[in-house]
Amino acid sequence: MKDSFLYPIVFMLIMVVLFTGILAVMFRFSEEKIRTYEDDTYQKKILSTMVTQIAEATEQSPDEIIAAYPESFEQYVQQLKPDGFERKVYQAVVDSAVVAYCFEIKGNGLWGSMSALVSTSTDFRTILNFAIVNQQETPGLGARIEEDWFLSQFQNIVFVVNPESTEDVTQSYEFISESQKPENDRQLKRVTGATITSDSVIKMLRAEFNYIYDYVRSKEL
Amino acid sequence: MTKKDIFINATFKDNSIWRQILGICSALAVTNLMLNSLIMGLGVTFTLIMANMTISLIRNWTPRSVRMMVQVLIIAAYVIIVDIFLKANMPLISKQLGPYVGLIITNCILMGRAEAFASKNKVFDSFVDGVGSGLGYTIVLLGISFVRELFGFGSIFGFKVLGSWWTNWSIMVMAPSAFFLLAMLIWGVNTYYYKVKA
Repeated sequence: MKDSFLYPIVFMLIMVVLFTGILAVMFRFSEEKIRTYEDDTYQKKILSTMVTQIAEATEQSPDEIIAAYPESFEQYVQQLKPDGFERKVYQAVVDSAVVAYCFEIKGNGLWGSMSALVSTSTDFRTILNFAIVNQQETPGLGARIEEDWFLSQFQNIVFVVNPESTEDVTQSYEFISESQKPENDRQLKRVTGATITSDSVIKMLRAEFNYIYDYVRSKEL
Repeated sequence: MTKKDIFINATFKDNSIWRQILGICSALAVTNLMLNSLIMGLGVTFTLIMANMTISLIRNWTPRSVRMMVQVLIIAAYVIIVDIFLKANMPLISKQLGPYVGLIITNCILMGRAEAFASKNKVFDSFVDGVGSGLGYTIVLLGISFVRELFGFGSIFGFKVLGSWWTNWSIMVMAPSAFFLLAMLIWGVNTYYYKVKA
């Protein structure tokens, strides 16, 4: 029977239906859990990029605000939907005053696209905080751009130096090796073995800040 | 062959990496950190065990002409199960492993053991072979990543063990170091374990 013409086709069909069915059932049962985790992680990242400013305005500690998620997110964070602006943007509001903005930005790494959250001061010139949302870089190499030491280099740096420029509004930065000590505030440490990924982060920030400035120069968020 | 022989063969004598030179791509890619190596090893071991057992279970009904398609289907299904399970229950580990979970499908050890062992042997023997092959693979990965992480980052499993006096060896973080270390491992095993004479 195994040598007949139809047997292998029927056998293969049964196997495909069986395993696809198992996967479909398993995915259906896990789908909500996965989506909830992803949404929570995303919202917590938004909150944490603006938490210092919220904490200063409310005289609470950042840890208290993070611990109070999801209530604190609902209380302080609002999503904006500006006309024609093609990025997700959020604002932190305390007592009707905006204390920070947070943008979801996108770019390309070595192996694929990446996205990040960058919070800015209300004049959009200073990066307050920076967090990676998605990246497809090599674990242990390029993926190390998610490590705190790399991300914290971008905290409180004045990224926009030419707000009136129509060419490039951003500051120029020089990458130095991970083991070197920066000599000035324009030197940032790159991830060892991941030069292209490190450069891609700066490239993404530059391109996105120019896009944001292009928009805010003519319209309000 | 006894169960013990099957286990010893799969883990050491016919070790997938140093003897059969299978699964080299992942051995080179993930071994810069011990945690990545351990998780990859566990993922491959689980998939090996489950795929081996399933392939062995249906071996008498599987037509020869489509056996490799069936094996790939089964392996892919188990890898996706691992991926979904990690995303739903261990999201941090899933994130840490990134694209490597999906790449387990392309690991030649799985197809190698399915074709060479599971398709011809009983379910429990295939289970033992899966455990042994997975363990052998994990041991090699952990061995290489121990040296790479220690010299490349001064740490073991992310814990700093070498002080601030230590200068990290950048070459150890990059893929070429895994080539050198793997070659040295194979040389050492051939010389001292298999007693191969030059």
